[in-house]
Amino acid sequence: MATIKTMKKNAVTAPLSEISVLGWIRKNLFSSVLNTLLTFVTVYIIYTTLKGVWSWGIVDAVWVAENRRECFAINVDGACWAGVIAWLDNIFYGRYPREELWRINLGIFFLFMWMVPLWLPRVKAKISIGMTTVFLYPFLGGYLFAGGEKGIFMQVMLTAAVVCLLVNTIHSIIGVFSGRSLPEFFASLSNKKNICEKTQRNIFFGFLAILFVLIYVWQMSWNVERVPWTKWGGLFLTLVIAGIGIASALPGGIVLALGRRSRMPVIRVFSTAFIELFRSVPIITVLFMATTMFPLFMPQGFVLNKLVQVIIAVCLFNAAYMAETVRGGLQTIPQGQFEGAHTIGLGYWQTMGLVVMPQALKHMIPNIVGNFITVLKDTTLVSIIGLFDVLGMLRSIGKDLPWLGLHIEPLVFGAILFFLICFTMSKYSRHLEAKLSTNHHN
Amino acid sequence: MKLSTLLTSVVAFAVMAAPAVASTGDTLDIVKKRGHLRCQVGTPSGGFYNLDADGNWYGLDVAVCQAVTAAIFGDKKKMEIQSVSSQARFTALANGESDLLCRTATWTISRDTQLGLDFVTPNFYDGQGFTVLKESGITSALQLKGAKVCVTTGTTSELNLADFSRAHDLNISAVTFEDWNVRDDTYLKGGCDAVTIDKSSLAANIVSFPNPADHMILPETISKEPLGPAVRHGDSQWADIVRWSLFAMINAEELGVTSANVDDMRANSKNIDVRRMLGVEGNIHEGLGLSKDWAYNIIKQVGNYGENYEKYIGSGEGALGIQRKGTLNELWTNGGLMYSPPMR
Repeated sequence: MATIKTMKKNAVTAPLSEISVLGWIRKNLFSSVLNTLLTFVTVYIIYTTLKGVWSWGIVDAVWVAENRRECFAINVDGACWAGVIAWLDNIFYGRYPREELWRINLGIFFLFMWMVPLWLPRVKAKISIGMTTVFLYPFLGGYLFAGGEKGIFMQVMLTAAVVCLLVNTIHSIIGVFSGRSLPEFFASLSNKKNICEKTQRNIFFGFLAILFVLIYVWQMSWNVERVPWTKWGGLFLTLVIAGIGIASALPGGIVLALGRRSRMPVIRVFSTAFIELFRSVPIITVLFMATTMFPLFMPQGFVLNKLVQVIIAVCLFNAAYMAETVRGGLQTIPQGQFEGAHTIGLGYWQTMGLVVMPQALKHMIPNIVGNFITVLKDTTLVSIIGLFDVLGMLRSIGKDLPWLGLHIEPLVFGAILFFLICFTMSKYSRHLEAKLSTNHHN
Repeated sequence: MKLSTLLTSVVAFAVMAAPAVASTGDTLDIVKKRGHLRCQVGTPSGGFYNLDADGNWYGLDVAVCQAVTAAIFGDKKKMEIQSVSSQARFTALANGESDLLCRTATWTISRDTQLGLDFVTPNFYDGQGFTVLKESGITSALQLKGAKVCVTTGTTSELNLADFSRAHDLNISAVTFEDWNVRDDTYLKGGCDAVTIDKSSLAANIVSFPNPADHMILPETISKEPLGPAVRHGDSQWADIVRWSLFAMINAEELGVTSANVDDMRANSKNIDVRRMLGVEGNIHEGLGLSKDWAYNIIKQVGNYGENYEKYIGSGEGALGIQRKGTLNELWTNGGLMYSPPMR
């Protein structure tokens, strides 16, 4: 009979060449003569590039000057950031009247207030918050940005938006501190326990109604001067166009994708034709069609709002692209899911809304966000048809007499701006992916 | 390149279709009813139409827009400047989007007769020229034999350069660029011996170079570029208003009326021409359908032609610095082409 004796062997730490920094460097950078050579060449290239950029953009740069001549006089080799700084208002807000800029800032602040709860983990009813952002915020933002006389419809929607913003904010504050929703919170204020859902809802609606009447009366006294769209511009205009394009692309894309997979021939043919038509022409052609050709078919003197034309064109174009992304997502869902949903008696919309879409959308997040980033970047094309979006403004700096010929600095600034925005979006998409991941990895 | 061809054909079709749409509407009535003038310019161009850091438009062409506005409303601010891409410029005028176009567009017979628009009268006489380095020793365009010349592609400048080279047997090789910034950078780095484009733009370029004194514009002018406002074809009264608003500015300079002395002139001048123009005597305003003080408003609020030239194009502070003396843009009394028919 053999006995096996186990003996504990002392653990040995990994060899230094595997874990130390020097070991890593040796392994990855200097493992052979060729690699060593490549490393030195690469380091040299990076060093000279960075050094050049650094000395042009920072060390030799001129930050304060009256005009470009003065920049040249101070340091002819450096960047002339003074021109960009002088134009910052134009770059961000376009030709918007300078004394009215608070309206844009306030509008953007409200948008943040509206959307911050979406990021807070303890807040409930995120779907309603998201939906109201898409459907009600445009009225509040639109009134702040455009101003002027408001009709009865506008007054009602504006009031609804303000009520919604207030309720959202209160709801989120309560949510953060107590983890409850607003109706639950109202119920908990009274001493009775276990108030049924219906009563909760009635109290909540009563509260909404009172708030609505109060705000409606208050908003009648609001009066902001009308700012025509021709004065909109800069990053603000870019974000307005891209924002509306992004907000409408997903719903539009879902509808078109479902239409394309529909069993009803008219809907299917129409959706397919629409998608293929818009996908087979460049966006700049669509923009030119919308702004140049379209007015020709209208009666003389009938002048459409060019901004609205552009926004409609951007929305249609992006819906078509998004439709194909969504269709791709739908095709990842196995047939069994549809069949399973049918077996338990779900109809078409329930199958789509409760079973298929939630899974499909999750798969599509990287593509959807990629699409959104493309929308934002494509928006700069409107500068070609004469709107002063952020790129249009950046290019105008070099034509302004004091800054004649200044073209590299504005574009570098624009590149940094776009990188910041797009990088934030893509980081957020990674965050969403991680959060929504249910770890169904096979 | 394919895309731009497509766009050009789309726009060409649009423009051909346009005259059918344009009608003999009463532009003046429409403008008055609307309460403001819609004046079309292009994407900013040094000296002619620029945005400043506060988002306001200024420049020699913008001044024409302001003059027409002041003549109609007595307030030069009652206008909206529309910035339209060059592909869509004539369509936007033809379909009634703009009331008036003033954006360094060259007056040619094909444009005047085939695009459903009428050029009014030039407000600036430009022409294509060459910039060279002073140290190159070149003093005449005829010395550019075998030279490399930087030019923006797809422009008439490129065609004019080829014609010039052939006519004088110079064998110039054109280096073409899509973007004028890149063109200038190439020239500055020695990639070509000269740059060619309209002289006003050459002047603007030189001002933007690090050492303007090292460069010079050659004396030859190889093309005619009369730039001026244009209106929709078929509304003569409207064309008259725009034409005489510009003539009022030129006439005022000839008569020595400026924005500074116009009040004094209106009150005290004995000169019958001045009195007629400023509406003290006579009734020249009636035919235009404007108020008696239309020309006074132009000069008071916008200034005469010379004032505006100096402010934006000439030697004024921060202006482009193009010498007016000896050019076509001088008054006819000084040997130029700026000439207003009599206002009587």
